[in-house]
Amino acid sequence: MRVRAWGWNPSGRRRWGILALWLGHVLWVFLGRNPVASWEKALGVLSRPSQIVSARLENWKYQRGQRAGNHQAAEAEIKALRQRVEYLQTTAIADIQKITEAEEAVRLLGLKRQLPLETRGARVIANLRNAPFGGLVLDQGEDIGLVPDQGVICPEGVVGRIWSVVFQQASVLPLDAFNASTAVMLARSRATGVLQGVAPGKAEIRYIGRQEAVQVGEPVFTSGLDRVFPRGLLVGYVTAVKPRDQELSLEVALAAPLDRVHLVLVLPAKPPMQIQPPSAPPPQLPVRGGK
Amino acid sequence: MNNPATSHPFRLLLFTLLNLGCIYHAAPWPAVQAVLNAFLVLALAPEFRSILVGAFWAAMAGWVLEGTMRSYPHLGGTALGNLTTTILAAWTLAQWPTSARQAFLSRLAVLTVIHALLVHGAVRIACGPHPWGWGGWLLTLVTVPLWGTLAFKLHRPLHRR
Repeated sequence: MRVRAWGWNPSGRRRWGILALWLGHVLWVFLGRNPVASWEKALGVLSRPSQIVSARLENWKYQRGQRAGNHQAAEAEIKALRQRVEYLQTTAIADIQKITEAEEAVRLLGLKRQLPLETRGARVIANLRNAPFGGLVLDQGEDIGLVPDQGVICPEGVVGRIWSVVFQQASVLPLDAFNASTAVMLARSRATGVLQGVAPGKAEIRYIGRQEAVQVGEPVFTSGLDRVFPRGLLVGYVTAVKPRDQELSLEVALAAPLDRVHLVLVLPAKPPMQIQPPSAPPPQLPVRGGK
Repeated sequence: MNNPATSHPFRLLLFTLLNLGCIYHAAPWPAVQAVLNAFLVLALAPEFRSILVGAFWAAMAGWVLEGTMRSYPHLGGTALGNLTTTILAAWTLAQWPTSARQAFLSRLAVLTVIHALLVHGAVRIACGPHPWGWGGWLLTLVTVPLWGTLAFKLHRPLHRR
C-alpha cells in the first residue's frame, strides 16, 4: 500500500507541522510592525462580552459595598443620635426644675418691680397644706426681720399670710386654710367681704349682702382692710353664687397655684391700704434720621 | 559502551542546547552571535532525524537571538529566516547527500549567503533594516571553513541516522 506524502501518517503529520510552523512565522512577520495593536483590537472585540459582564459584576459589588457602608454609617449615626437624645432628655429632666424655678423667678422679679413696696423674696421649702393645720414653710425667718401677719404673694395672686416665724424659717397660712381670713372685694361692685378657706384651692367669701349683683367669673381682689395686703391684689375668681338668709355665699377659685408655688414675695408688715402703681416710663422720642 | 546510533541524537541535542545558550550569552558580541546562529541553523538543525524538530530548534534560535537584542519593534524575522534556511539545508542534504568535505563546505557557504539574505529580508519586512548590518554575516562567511569543519564532523548521512 502506497503511503500518501501529505496524508494523516507520521510523515504527513511532520510535513503538516513544518508547514504550519513556517506559515505561522511568515504570517507573523508579514503582519508588520504593528501587529500588537491588531491583536489587541481582536482580543478586545473577543473579550468584550466578558468585559461587560465583569464590569457589571464589579459595579454591582461596588454598589453593594457602598450600600453596606452607607447602612453601617447610618446605623452608627442613628446610634449616636439616640445616645445624644437620651443624654439631652436626661439633661432636660434634670434641668426642668431649674428652668421652672428660673421662669418663676423671672415672673416674681417682674411682680417685685411692679409693686411699690419693700418686698422680700423667699423660697418655699415645704408644702404641708394637705396636713391638718399645715401650711407652706419658707426659708426666711427672723434673721431678715419677718414677723407674723405679713402678706405672701406670688405672680399669679395672693398666697396667704405669715403665721409663725422662727430663725431662718417661717410658716405661711394659705388662703384656702380653714382658719384663714382675708379681707377681699369684688372687682365690679366693689363690695367687700371676708375670704375663708373651705377646700384646697377653694375659698368662700362671707358677708356680702344679698342686694349685690355678682357674676360668676368675676375677679376678687384684696380690699386692704385687714392691713395685711394692700388693696387690689388678685385673689381669685368667683365660681358660684349661693344666696343665704342674709347674705350671699360666693365660692372662689384661688388664682395662686398653691400646690406648685416655689418662690414667693413677702410683703412688708402693715402695708399702706392703697398703693400706687409705678409710673409708666416716658415715651421714646423718635430719633431724627433713625429708621 | 555507547551505541553510536543512540548517542548521536543526544549529542546533537546537547550541542544544540549549548549553542542556544552561547547565542544568548554572546549578545554583547553580535558578530560572534551571528556565527553561532549560522552554525546552529546550517550545521546542527538539519542533522536532526526529523526536519520538524530541526526547524523548531532553528526558529528557537532566531527568537532567542532577537530576544537578546531587544531592539526590534517586531520580532520574528530571524526566526523565519532560520526556519526557512534549515528546511532548505535539510532538503538539500536529502536530495544531494555528500561525503566530500570540500563540497560540504561549499554548500555551507552558499547556504550561508542564502541565510543572510533571508534573515535580512525577513527582518526588513518585519521591522526594518537589520541592526547588525552585514558585518556579522561577512564574518560568518569568512569562518565557514572553521565551523564548517566541525559541522562536517557532526554530519551523518541520512542512511546512517
